Amino acid sequence: MSVTSTAGYFARRAAQRERVRILYRRALKDKLNWAVHRHIFYQDASELRERFDANKHVEDPDTIDRLIADGEASYNKWRHPDPYIVPWAPGGSKFTRNPIPPSGIEIVYNYGREDND
Amino acid sequence: MALRAAILRHVRVPIQTLTLTGPKPQVRGPNGGSLRFLSSHGDDHLTKGEVIDRVLSVVKSFPKVDPSKVDPDVHFQKDLGLDSLDNVEIVMALEEEFKLEIPDKEADKIDSCLLAIEYIYNHPMAG
Repeated sequence: MSVTSTAGYFARRAAQRERVRILYRRALKDKLNWAVHRHIFYQDASELRERFDANKHVEDPDTIDRLIADGEASYNKWRHPDPYIVPWAPGGSKFTRNPIPPSGIEIVYNYGREDND
Repeated sequence: MALRAAILRHVRVPIQTLTLTGPKPQVRGPNGGSLRFLSSHGDDHLTKGEVIDRVLSVVKSFPKVDPSKVDPDVHFQKDLGLDSLDNVEIVMALEEEFKLEIPDKEADKIDSCLLAIEYIYNHPMAG
Protein backbone atom coordinates (compact mmCIF):
# COMPACT_ATOMS: atom_id res chain seq x y z
CA MET A 1 0.00 0.00 0.00
CA SER A 2 1.72 3.16 -1.16
CA VAL A 3 1.51 6.28 0.89
CA THR A 4 -0.59 8.91 -0.88
CA SER A 5 1.07 12.30 -0.65
CA THR A 6 -2.02 14.40 -0.32
CA ALA A 7 -2.33 17.57 1.66
CA GLY A 8 -4.29 15.66 4.26
CA TYR A 9 -1.40 13.28 4.84
CA PHE A 10 1.04 16.10 5.32
CA ALA A 11 -1.34 17.95 7.60
CA ARG A 12 -1.73 14.81 9.68
CA ARG A 13 2.02 14.33 9.89
CA ALA A 14 2.50 17.98 10.87
CA ALA A 15 -0.11 17.64 13.61
CA GLN A 16 1.65 14.51 14.84
CA ARG A 17 4.96 16.35 14.89
CA GLU A 18 3.45 19.10 17.00
CA ARG A 19 1.99 16.54 19.42
CA VAL A 20 5.39 14.89 19.69
CA ARG A 21 7.11 18.20 20.41
CA ILE A 22 4.58 19.15 23.09
CA LEU A 23 4.79 15.69 24.62
CA TYR A 24 8.59 15.86 24.69
CA ARG A 25 8.46 19.30 26.30
CA ARG A 26 6.06 18.19 29.01
CA ALA A 27 7.95 14.97 29.65
CA LEU A 28 11.23 16.88 29.97
CA LYS A 29 9.71 19.32 32.45
CA ASP A 30 8.31 16.41 34.38
CA LYS A 31 11.75 14.82 34.55
CA LEU A 32 13.00 18.08 35.97
CA ASN A 33 10.26 17.99 38.59
CA TRP A 34 11.16 14.51 39.69
CA ALA A 35 14.95 14.68 39.48
CA VAL A 36 16.03 17.89 41.17
CA HIS A 37 19.70 17.02 41.29
CA ARG A 38 21.11 18.11 37.99
CA HIS A 39 23.28 15.08 37.24
CA ILE A 40 20.31 12.76 37.72
CA PHE A 41 18.21 15.03 35.53
CA TYR A 42 20.80 14.88 32.75
CA GLN A 43 20.76 11.08 32.84
CA ASP A 44 16.97 11.02 32.75
CA ALA A 45 16.87 13.57 29.95
CA SER A 46 19.26 11.63 27.76
CA GLU A 47 17.34 8.42 28.40
CA LEU A 48 14.10 10.18 27.40
CA ARG A 49 15.76 11.55 24.27
CA GLU A 50 16.89 8.05 23.32
CA ARG A 51 13.39 6.72 23.74
CA PHE A 52 12.09 9.41 21.41
CA ASP A 53 14.90 8.91 18.91
CA ALA A 54 14.34 5.16 18.72
CA ASN A 55 10.99 5.78 17.06
CA LYS A 56 12.16 8.63 14.89
CA HIS A 57 12.04 6.78 11.57
CA VAL A 58 8.55 5.36 11.76
CA GLU A 59 6.60 6.27 8.62
CA ASP A 60 3.13 4.83 9.08
CA PRO A 61 0.73 7.46 10.51
CA ASP A 62 -1.34 4.90 12.44
CA THR A 63 1.71 3.49 14.19
CA ILE A 64 2.83 7.01 14.98
CA ASP A 65 -0.58 7.79 16.47
CA ARG A 66 -0.42 4.70 18.60
CA LEU A 67 3.10 5.54 19.79
CA ILE A 68 2.08 9.09 20.67
CA ALA A 69 -0.94 7.80 22.60
CA ASP A 70 1.31 5.38 24.49
CA GLY A 71 3.71 8.18 25.26
CA GLU A 72 0.96 10.46 26.53
CA ALA A 73 -0.44 7.65 28.68
CA SER A 74 2.92 7.03 30.29
CA TYR A 75 3.41 10.77 30.76
CA ASN A 76 0.05 11.00 32.54
CA LYS A 77 1.00 8.05 34.68
CA TRP A 78 4.27 9.62 35.78
CA ARG A 79 3.18 13.22 36.31
CA HIS A 80 4.56 14.81 39.45
CA PRO A 81 1.90 15.65 42.08
CA ASP A 82 3.57 18.92 43.03
CA PRO A 83 5.26 20.36 39.96
CA TYR A 84 7.52 23.36 40.10
CA ILE A 85 5.75 26.34 38.60
CA VAL A 86 7.49 29.68 38.20
CA PRO A 87 6.26 31.88 41.10
CA TRP A 88 4.50 34.59 39.12
CA ALA A 89 2.70 32.12 36.82
CA PRO A 90 -0.79 30.77 37.64
CA GLY A 91 -0.32 28.00 40.16
CA GLY A 92 2.91 29.45 41.46
CA SER A 93 3.44 30.77 44.95
CA LYS A 94 3.59 34.45 44.09
CA PHE A 95 0.65 34.54 41.70
CA THR A 96 -1.63 37.52 42.50
CA ARG A 97 0.20 37.96 45.78
CA ASN A 98 0.96 41.65 45.26
CA PRO A 99 -1.26 42.94 42.51
CA ILE A 100 -0.15 46.20 41.00
CA PRO A 101 -2.14 49.02 42.63
CA PRO A 102 -4.32 51.13 40.35
CA SER A 103 -2.48 53.96 38.69
CA GLY A 104 -2.63 57.32 40.36
CA ILE A 105 -2.00 55.93 43.83
CA GLU A 106 1.46 56.60 45.12
CA ILE A 107 3.07 56.84 48.54
CA VAL A 108 5.07 60.01 48.88
CA TYR A 109 7.87 59.59 51.37
CA ASN A 110 8.50 63.10 52.55
CA TYR A 111 9.04 62.03 56.18
CA GLY A 112 6.53 64.41 57.65
CA ARG A 113 7.98 67.53 56.10
CA GLU A 114 5.26 70.14 55.90
CA ASP A 115 4.77 72.43 52.96
CA ASN A 116 5.73 75.57 54.81
CA ASP A 117 8.97 74.21 56.25
CA MET B 1 46.74 42.99 69.98
CA ALA B 2 48.21 45.88 68.05
CA LEU B 3 49.16 43.48 65.27
CA ARG B 4 45.61 42.23 65.15
CA ALA B 5 44.28 45.79 64.97
CA ALA B 6 46.73 46.60 62.18
CA ILE B 7 45.69 43.56 60.17
CA LEU B 8 42.03 44.30 60.69
CA ARG B 9 42.50 47.89 59.62
CA HIS B 10 43.90 46.64 56.35
CA VAL B 11 41.21 44.04 55.82
CA ARG B 12 38.20 46.10 56.76
CA VAL B 13 36.83 48.13 53.89
CA PRO B 14 36.51 51.80 54.87
CA ILE B 15 32.96 53.06 54.73
CA GLN B 16 33.35 55.78 52.14
CA THR B 17 34.62 53.35 49.48
CA LEU B 18 31.46 51.27 49.61
CA THR B 19 29.26 52.21 46.68
CA LEU B 20 25.74 51.14 46.13
CA THR B 21 25.16 49.54 42.78
CA GLY B 22 21.83 48.92 41.19
CA PRO B 23 19.60 50.81 38.82
CA LYS B 24 17.26 52.32 41.38
CA PRO B 25 16.08 55.58 39.86
CA GLN B 26 15.76 58.44 42.34
CA VAL B 27 12.39 59.71 41.20
CA ARG B 28 11.19 62.71 43.20
CA GLY B 29 7.48 63.26 43.82
CA PRO B 30 5.68 66.59 43.76
CA ASN B 31 6.40 67.43 47.42
CA GLY B 32 10.06 66.62 47.25
CA GLY B 33 9.70 63.17 48.80
CA SER B 34 11.06 60.22 46.90
CA LEU B 35 8.60 57.97 45.12
CA ARG B 36 8.82 54.25 45.34
CA PHE B 37 6.88 52.15 42.91
CA LEU B 38 4.64 49.73 44.69
CA SER B 39 5.19 46.57 42.65
CA SER B 40 7.47 43.96 44.13
CA HIS B 41 8.58 42.41 40.89
CA GLY B 42 8.74 43.18 37.24
CA ASP B 43 10.74 46.38 37.78
CA ASP B 44 14.01 45.19 36.41
CA HIS B 45 13.40 45.46 32.72
CA LEU B 46 16.21 43.87 30.78
CA THR B 47 17.93 45.79 28.08
CA LYS B 48 17.98 44.32 24.60
CA GLY B 49 21.74 43.89 24.74
CA GLU B 50 21.53 41.86 27.93
CA VAL B 51 18.79 39.68 26.49
CA ILE B 52 20.82 39.04 23.35
CA ASP B 53 23.94 38.21 25.33
CA ARG B 54 22.21 35.76 27.63
CA VAL B 55 20.28 34.08 24.82
CA LEU B 56 23.43 33.64 22.78
CA SER B 57 25.35 32.26 25.74
CA VAL B 58 22.60 29.70 26.37
CA VAL B 59 22.57 28.64 22.73
CA LYS B 60 26.37 28.47 22.57
CA SER B 61 26.59 26.24 25.62
CA PHE B 62 24.26 23.70 24.05
CA PRO B 63 26.41 20.62 23.38
CA LYS B 64 25.15 19.97 19.86
CA VAL B 65 25.78 23.50 18.67
CA ASP B 66 28.94 24.88 17.12
CA PRO B 67 29.53 28.13 19.06
CA SER B 68 31.18 29.97 16.20
CA LYS B 69 28.06 29.79 14.06
CA VAL B 70 25.77 31.41 16.57
CA ASP B 71 24.43 34.82 15.60
CA PRO B 72 21.50 36.84 16.86
CA ASP B 73 19.53 35.93 13.74
CA VAL B 74 20.33 32.26 13.41
CA HIS B 75 17.59 29.69 12.83
CA PHE B 76 17.90 26.62 15.03
CA GLN B 77 16.87 24.00 12.54
CA LYS B 78 17.97 25.55 9.27
CA ASP B 79 21.28 27.22 10.20
CA LEU B 80 22.46 25.15 13.13
CA GLY B 81 21.21 21.84 11.83
CA LEU B 82 19.32 20.92 14.97
CA ASP B 83 16.38 18.61 15.42
CA SER B 84 12.90 19.70 16.46
CA LEU B 85 13.48 17.97 19.80
CA ASP B 86 16.69 19.98 20.17
CA ASN B 87 14.59 23.06 19.55
CA VAL B 88 12.36 22.04 22.47
CA GLU B 89 15.44 21.57 24.65
CA ILE B 90 16.80 24.99 23.77
CA VAL B 91 13.48 26.65 24.56
CA MET B 92 13.44 24.87 27.92
CA ALA B 93 16.97 26.07 28.63
CA LEU B 94 15.90 29.64 27.80
CA GLU B 95 12.93 29.28 30.14
CA GLU B 96 15.25 28.22 32.92
CA GLU B 97 17.70 31.03 32.20
CA PHE B 98 15.13 33.82 32.28
CA LYS B 99 12.82 32.26 34.87
CA LEU B 100 9.91 32.40 32.46
CA GLU B 101 6.95 30.15 32.00
CA ILE B 102 6.19 29.96 28.29
CA PRO B 103 2.88 28.29 27.31
CA ASP B 104 3.21 25.19 25.14
CA LYS B 105 1.72 26.74 22.04
CA GLU B 106 4.03 29.74 22.19
CA ALA B 107 7.05 27.61 22.89
CA ASP B 108 6.35 25.53 19.84
CA LYS B 109 6.61 28.59 17.64
CA ILE B 110 10.03 29.74 18.86
CA ASP B 111 12.21 28.57 16.04
CA SER B 112 15.11 30.96 15.82
CA CYS B 113 17.24 33.23 17.96
CA LEU B 114 15.41 36.26 16.61
CA LEU B 115 12.01 35.01 17.77
CA ALA B 116 13.43 34.00 21.13
CA ILE B 117 15.04 37.39 21.73
CA GLU B 118 11.87 39.20 20.68
CA TYR B 119 9.65 37.04 22.86
CA ILE B 120 11.87 37.37 25.94
CA TYR B 121 12.36 41.10 25.49
CA ASN B 122 8.63 41.68 25.24
CA HIS B 123 7.82 39.44 28.17
CA PRO B 124 7.01 41.56 31.25
CA MET B 125 8.39 39.03 33.72
CA ALA B 126 11.74 38.22 32.15
CA GLY B 127 14.21 37.99 35.02
